[in-house]
Amino acid sequence: MPEIFIDGQRYEFEEGDDRGVLQFILDQGKEVPFFCYHPAMSAPANCRQCFVKAGTPVKDRETGEFELDENGERKIRWFPKMQTSCSLGMQDGMVVKTQESDEDVARAQKDTMELILINHPLDCPICDQAGECPLQIQTYKYGPEGSRFEVKKQHKPKRVELGPRVTLDAERCINCTRCVRFTDEISESHQLTIVQRGDKNYPIAAPGREFNDPYSLNTVDICPVGALTSTDFRFKARVWEMNQTPSIDITGGKGTNVDLWTRDNLIMRITPRFNGEVNDHWMPDAGREAYKRFNENRISRPAIKLDGDNQSKTSWNNAIETFAETLESHKPEDVLVIGSPHASVEENFALMKVFNLWGVNNFKFAPHIEEGAGDGFLITDDQAPNTSGVKLLGYEESNDLSSEVSDAEIVIMLSDELIDRGTLSKEDLKGKFSILLSTNECETAAVVDLVIPVTCIAEHAASYVNVEGRIQRSFPAKETKYKDRSLDLEMNQGRLDRFGTNFDNWVTEENKVDCVPAWEIMNQLADRMGLEVKFGQSREIMEEIAGSNPAFENVSYERMDNEMGINLNTSNKQEATA
Amino acid sequence: MEETYEFTKEDLEEIEGIKAKFPEVMPATLPTLWVAQRRFGHVEPPVQRLVAETLGLPESHVHGVATFYTQYYKERKGKYVLDVCTTTSCQLCGGYKMLHYLEDKLGIKAGETTEDGMFSIQSVECLGACGYAPMMQITNDVYVNNLTEEKLDKVIDSLKEGEMPEFESVGMPLLENINDK
Ligand code: SF4
Ligand code: FES
Ligand code: FES
Repeated sequence: MPEIFIDGQRYEFEEGDDRGVLQFILDQGKEVPFFCYHPAMSAPANCRQCFVKAGTPVKDRETGEFELDENGERKIRWFPKMQTSCSLGMQDGMVVKTQESDEDVARAQKDTMELILINHPLDCPICDQAGECPLQIQTYKYGPEGSRFEVKKQHKPKRVELGPRVTLDAERCINCTRCVRFTDEISESHQLTIVQRGDKNYPIAAPGREFNDPYSLNTVDICPVGALTSTDFRFKARVWEMNQTPSIDITGGKGTNVDLWTRDNLIMRITPRFNGEVNDHWMPDAGREAYKRFNENRISRPAIKLDGDNQSKTSWNNAIETFAETLESHKPEDVLVIGSPHASVEENFALMKVFNLWGVNNFKFAPHIEEGAGDGFLITDDQAPNTSGVKLLGYEESNDLSSEVSDAEIVIMLSDELIDRGTLSKEDLKGKFSILLSTNECETAAVVDLVIPVTCIAEHAASYVNVEGRIQRSFPAKETKYKDRSLDLEMNQGRLDRFGTNFDNWVTEENKVDCVPAWEIMNQLADRMGLEVKFGQSREIMEEIAGSNPAFENVSYERMDNEMGINLNTSNKQEATA
Repeated sequence: MEETYEFTKEDLEEIEGIKAKFPEVMPATLPTLWVAQRRFGHVEPPVQRLVAETLGLPESHVHGVATFYTQYYKERKGKYVLDVCTTTSCQLCGGYKMLHYLEDKLGIKAGETTEDGMFSIQSVECLGACGYAPMMQITNDVYVNNLTEEKLDKVIDSLKEGEMPEFESVGMPLLENINDK
């Protein structure tokens, strides 16, 4: 097997491995500073930060043997200049020295950094990127202490609105061209270019054109400095004040892996999380807007229609009591349960199980598809994150929900804004007793007889099956009234969470919503109605599903976490062929 | 209303010829921008767009290329564009002095155009004639070398008459002559 020596240590690589030396070094858990290189895009080697020394062993042409020096070591023919490791291919026997083992390399990197910083404004204290800035981090680790350039810095455009979502500060730009390459190679909108030259250049769209690429905000993530910022997020929160929780994009069927960034129990922003099987490093801009749903217009405490059409807030006890009494005054045949592609597998399962036990066998759901909305990349026609999941649980797909509703007397709906999205009309629900388990205020919630607030994806651990049949799960990121970050092992703590108490002025009690997971509501209802069922944590619910539904065989949270999701189709297919 | 621009049939034929010279379209950007500038006198954004459409390339790419070179006029210029070199050699030999002399003489700053539309001044990077510093180029054409204030006066006077100065060719020292020394 071919070998390569990095800082005196021998590594092997496969024949035909086309990783550059930099990527190989990073994959070994070692480090070389870099800016312009990005693993998903071409390597133009323009920042010159990733310098290493490299050489190849000298071979005798006749014998093909390595030539040895007087100490019996292989003779190395060094490249005459330092090489950019990002664009340097690996060769058998190659010897590489990084800043770890060679002072010249460390010095070269330091000098490059000094050049890169000549016109950089060094405004880290007011820069959004601070705390997650490769330029800041690498200057701290590898850069010079000061600068020999004492001339006036070059001024460039600031606060340029490149498009509806991205704002440019050209002075901070180090012209790595990552953003330009993103629009050329990944989103293929070709909307950005570098203009001018030398110390005056910066990226921008063509004159009179907007940078409105539906993936534009990914450039903010990959910009290695604070030049590109999110117009929505800028100046809202410091990186180190937030905690970061893995989750899934709920605005489409792709199951894009994301991180939710929380401060004081508000989701401040959503960024993509790498998953090579699903979304690579990217996500659509639309998915990032979902954070608003998690914070705003939330339903807190149950509400009930008492007189006429006016709802008023009520207690949990009263809500459950009303729920149970309504059921008890009817027969199971009168009940229609509408599952939701917008809710998780566990929630849909819990509903089905409890009502099934009571005797209901009318379980329907309406897919939320917008034909033609998809782009073959990360945006799908499917507007919901769990259409496949509801189907696999046995909910029957219905294209005419209003006639189903007209045949029922009690309609129980799970987290789905059916009236808002035009599947049902207000008239459909007239004369029925309608119950909605909902996360947000919406038209649907406004007209039903009983509204029960449930946790959203940002508040519970639950699983969602994407359009390709891949099951992936979320973690709780936001506390509800009944959750405590410091006691829940699934929850992360940011600096403010760790050191804050309820009496600190950075802790806002109102940010916690008075809601509970749907399965806990089912527990209370079952308990009140004397049904033999008790759900534990969502992790245990998934175990139960895996044990009872062949489509979910061998699925567990542990496997989902270790394998970054499980493709249900392939595991089934394997079984079929085995 | 934004002016609309169109290439003539001859222009389009020429552009086809340019495209045929390269395996890909992208390298045709530079010569096509020249065709456009020759036709319209400038490559303002609508012209850049026309070039992009004609070549089937992203507008952003054409814009990037056009802004890289001072030789492409991203806005309308005077009849004569005086590109005064201010890079190292010229700078050391008085490039800025020449530039400022011109600015004072014509009453405009670098980057501006005289009101009568006759002259524009630009401060540009090295034009590869460092041996004859300080120097300038007129409208992407004739080089005027070894500038002095008197020489500039003369050049401006003759340009006002509508006369381009002669191209001053400065020969390479011949090999024999070097060997003789
Ligand atoms: S804006 Fe950021 S990503 Fe784009 S070229 Fe500049 S530094 Fe690179
Ligand atoms: S990362 Fe190698 S040159 Fe920029
Ligand atoms: S420096 Fe002026 S022509 Fe080279």
